[in-house]
Amino acid sequence: MSIPRQFQGYSTEHFFDKMFSGNGELRARSHYEKIYQRLDRLTETEISERRQQADSSFLEHGITFTVYGDEGGTERIFPFDLIPRVIPESEWNVVENGLRQRIIALNLFLNDIYHDRKIIKDKIIPEEIINSSKNYRPEMVGFDPPQEVYAHICGTDLIRDDQGNYLVLEDNARCPSGASYLLENREIMKRAFPQTFGGMSVRPVEAYPDLLLRTLEYLSPRKSQKPVCVLLTPGVYNSAYFEHTFLARQMGIEIVEGKDLIAIDSCIYMRTTRGLVQVDVIYRRLDDDFLDPMVFREESMLGVAGLMDAYLKGNVALANAVGTGVADDKVTYAYVPDMIKYYLNQEPILSNVPTYLCWRDTDRAHVLENLENLVVKAANESGGYGMLIGNQSTLKERDEFARLIEAHPREYIAQPIISLSRHPTFCQEGIEGRHVDLRPFILYGEDVEIVPGGLTRVALKKGSLVVNSSQGGGSKDTWVLREF
Amino acid sequence: MLSRVADNLYWMSRYIERADGMARMIQVHQSQALEYAQNDQQLEEFWQPVLQSICAESVHPSEIGVRKIGKTLLFDESFSNSILSCISLARENARMVRDQLSEELWLELNNIYLFFRNGDALDLYNQGSDLLLDRITRFSLVFQGLADATIPHGEGWRFLSLGKYLERADQTSRMLDTLNLRLKEPSRADLMSVLRCCIALSAFRQQFRGHLSLQNVASFLLFSEDFPRSIRFCIRAIDYSLHAISGVPTGTFSNEAEKLTGSTLAMVNFTDWNQVQAKGLHQTLDELQTTLIEIGQRVFETYVLLPSEIKSLGERTSAQLAQAQQQQ
Amino acid sequence: MQLYVFHRTSYRYPGPVTESYNELRLHPLSNVWQKCLSSTLSILPICRTQSYLDLNGNIVHHFELPEEHQKLVIEARSLVETSQRVDFNNFPYGVNLCSLSKMEVVPEYRDYLQSSSYVEINPKVWRMAVDLQGETKDVFQTAYQVMEFIYQNFEYCKSTTTVDTHANEVLDIRRGVCQDFAHAALALCRCLGIPARYVSGYFFDSTRDRRMRGAEASHAWIEVMVQGHGWFGLDPTNNRVVDDTYVILGTGRDYRDVAPITGSYYGPRPHQFDVTVRVKRSDTC
Repeated sequence: MSIPRQFQGYSTEHFFDKMFSGNGELRARSHYEKIYQRLDRLTETEISERRQQADSSFLEHGITFTVYGDEGGTERIFPFDLIPRVIPESEWNVVENGLRQRIIALNLFLNDIYHDRKIIKDKIIPEEIINSSKNYRPEMVGFDPPQEVYAHICGTDLIRDDQGNYLVLEDNARCPSGASYLLENREIMKRAFPQTFGGMSVRPVEAYPDLLLRTLEYLSPRKSQKPVCVLLTPGVYNSAYFEHTFLARQMGIEIVEGKDLIAIDSCIYMRTTRGLVQVDVIYRRLDDDFLDPMVFREESMLGVAGLMDAYLKGNVALANAVGTGVADDKVTYAYVPDMIKYYLNQEPILSNVPTYLCWRDTDRAHVLENLENLVVKAANESGGYGMLIGNQSTLKERDEFARLIEAHPREYIAQPIISLSRHPTFCQEGIEGRHVDLRPFILYGEDVEIVPGGLTRVALKKGSLVVNSSQGGGSKDTWVLREF
Repeated sequence: MLSRVADNLYWMSRYIERADGMARMIQVHQSQALEYAQNDQQLEEFWQPVLQSICAESVHPSEIGVRKIGKTLLFDESFSNSILSCISLARENARMVRDQLSEELWLELNNIYLFFRNGDALDLYNQGSDLLLDRITRFSLVFQGLADATIPHGEGWRFLSLGKYLERADQTSRMLDTLNLRLKEPSRADLMSVLRCCIALSAFRQQFRGHLSLQNVASFLLFSEDFPRSIRFCIRAIDYSLHAISGVPTGTFSNEAEKLTGSTLAMVNFTDWNQVQAKGLHQTLDELQTTLIEIGQRVFETYVLLPSEIKSLGERTSAQLAQAQQQQ
Repeated sequence: MQLYVFHRTSYRYPGPVTESYNELRLHPLSNVWQKCLSSTLSILPICRTQSYLDLNGNIVHHFELPEEHQKLVIEARSLVETSQRVDFNNFPYGVNLCSLSKMEVVPEYRDYLQSSSYVEINPKVWRMAVDLQGETKDVFQTAYQVMEFIYQNFEYCKSTTTVDTHANEVLDIRRGVCQDFAHAALALCRCLGIPARYVSGYFFDSTRDRRMRGAEASHAWIEVMVQGHGWFGLDPTNNRVVDDTYVILGTGRDYRDVAPITGSYYGPRPHQFDVTVRVKRSDTC
């Protein structure tokens, strides 16, 4: 087959490309064959029409996110790319297994550090790492969360290196967002390319809201009746507010703000026009800090005074549990492979990105000497904030980070700059390769459930490695193919 | 349903009704001004009572220029009752309760919002203000139609009705009040304008065979039994919605809002023009507006606040109440 | 077929217990019929497990909890690729029962022809076995008849038998669950000289109305040796020849050899004991 017009001039360069194998000559991988052919038949106008359709569909439906730091919190759509990312089933199975193994280990770890701390006694993880973690919550020590699960919803970010190996970049075990885009992207792709979609037997993702609801209901402390579950949102100005309403509506549960809830006699009630209704399970999309002004941040207007008391007395369940942030601290991250070996007696199926911990003297010396070849990250930030990409930074920025690292070594880690895999993406000048990652969503209720695929995020800026929505990233639909 | 959700639905509905009333008010008065006001001085005199009746004290014709009043009432976000403000606030309320709305309803509201935000509304205004004003009134009709046709007629929908009729009664009373605020006797054109603002012209003609007088216009807008914008009709609808929400039969009451509405309904049911004249039309309308504000307040207390919060009407709550009042 | 199995067992004790020592046989085997792609075991309270292979070739994990605890949760998650293993149009008929006398001397099969903890070879069972064998001379046919006999004449009902119920009692009361049915089948087969072993595992209920018994539980069935053809699985609880919907955890002489969880501790009996088993197909959805 000759190279389609759209791909004339396309180059994989030295990166691992999802669609093409080999260097120089473009050869589509077999699972991309149909998409490649479809793209070949599309005219320029058809492409731009479909893009417009998709964009306006997002805007009209109000599928937007809010950018912090922008004046007045402007709403933007999360840019959507029409070329789907395809994962063959055999490849996905490995990822799924690896994620399951990882979430189990992370939950055992959380249970351990809030109970007997065997992993510390056995000198696998140093105690000061845990105690100094910003998201460690001493209130949780000795407490058994409902069903002994801590991180019920986890979004783990995966990347592929230049060899095509999947690596875990980070675990988001607090309030990961993006599941609504996963669902909406799929709807839009089905409308934009019905035939191609239909011809490829893509595994469906629409079960996510049902699975999420089952995960929540499983936690209810009152078994005698149908659990009352609610989604607690920080409110309409939160960047992920659309997602909160979307998920609440899909699950058929109430979306509440802190002011809708009230604690009376260590139980949580929501205020309705018919009076107070007791709440069993709270899917909170609010960080620990803001949950309860009586225990955490006093000035928080978003939370519910008395919530922690009700939680610790076992009268209400929270998903995720309080204190899961220790597990997605980027310093703890470095120890996840050790946790898997320690708790499960197994080798990790998915590897970590090699990580230097600045609080270790030897690591720090190495980091400070090689800043221009490393990515430096703040241990407790997410969303691509507080980050230095060595080879794209100025001397001034590097000096600034060096100073920060010396001052707060515990707060920084560094990783080699991985040449992230790329994926063909519609850009201003036609189709070009852009760096992508993958965020699958893991649900842990009675058992671990992972909808096939996840949210593929793409760095739309040429050469950029940052895929976060707040930093100019976009998304793609992710197709896990069924194999017969 | 969540108290906050009820509150949001109520306000969303009110703001849309308000935008609708504003649009018609601007349209009618702009066209009247074309015929009757020759110079800036006259224009200012013409607009003054209108602005006063809609509480637009912050809009000063001398500062913005009398010929820009319409544009200000449409687009000025610093004026909290401008159409753009109303639509933004309606959408903001809707955004908080999106899960309660049908997709169609949300799309309609979001589209008009985006239409204002991306500058298309201003373009249309520059082509001809009537084009834009028509579009707004049509939007409100479509919105209310969709609300009736696509939302279950349960509790949430009752709160939508409640907001709509409270706002409508308020609008009608304010339009009627412009007649009092004019320095001279209302002219035939003034009376016509008021009827037009309330889309009441043809209904009025059917009833009074074209006999246009202050007495007839005021009686019609106050007491008409079946005209959907008359104050009596609106208060009856409020009474009905309140009882549908509480489940208590009409004629009795279970909360302050119902009690106040019931007595107001009795008042409009058993009052005639002579009594209005004795008290003075302005005085009557003023009292009515105060009562409407109070009904809104009582609804808020009954369904949104907890009993304990009303009892301890401390600093914080009263600040909240002031805030709620301000929006009206 | 790719099957995913989730098996959770939780014990809650009315008071603190100590020195708990447990053995788990929850790791699926890899053999010619199935390949265990992954198996993860997690235990609360946190403890470390070690493993060994027992005499029957089963994978055993064991752990100790010396400190005080009031609950114990054991979760096993496994992913297994199973193969068809049996051709339903071509069962291994044609092996005569006479050939069985040769098997008695093969050490590999000797254990599966004798009495064991739950199974006794005695005249009463032998008479029952001979009656239902009738005129049949074929090994597979006979074993199949044993399975059919139990399926048709025994009542499947929970809580009439216990984990300790002996095959003799089962044959007597003709009631029980899969473990009992398997023991009864073992006794009958062994009396007739057919080498038969106990299999512990799970199966995936692929029927449309989910009418199979024991699908949401830890399951058991038997395997019989047909000379020249190898081991064949028969499930007397569901009257089925074992195919790719079955996952094998381990095999042995009877329940004692392959009990999924065994253990001992100091302290009161658990007042709450919950088992959850879920088997899903993971290759299609």
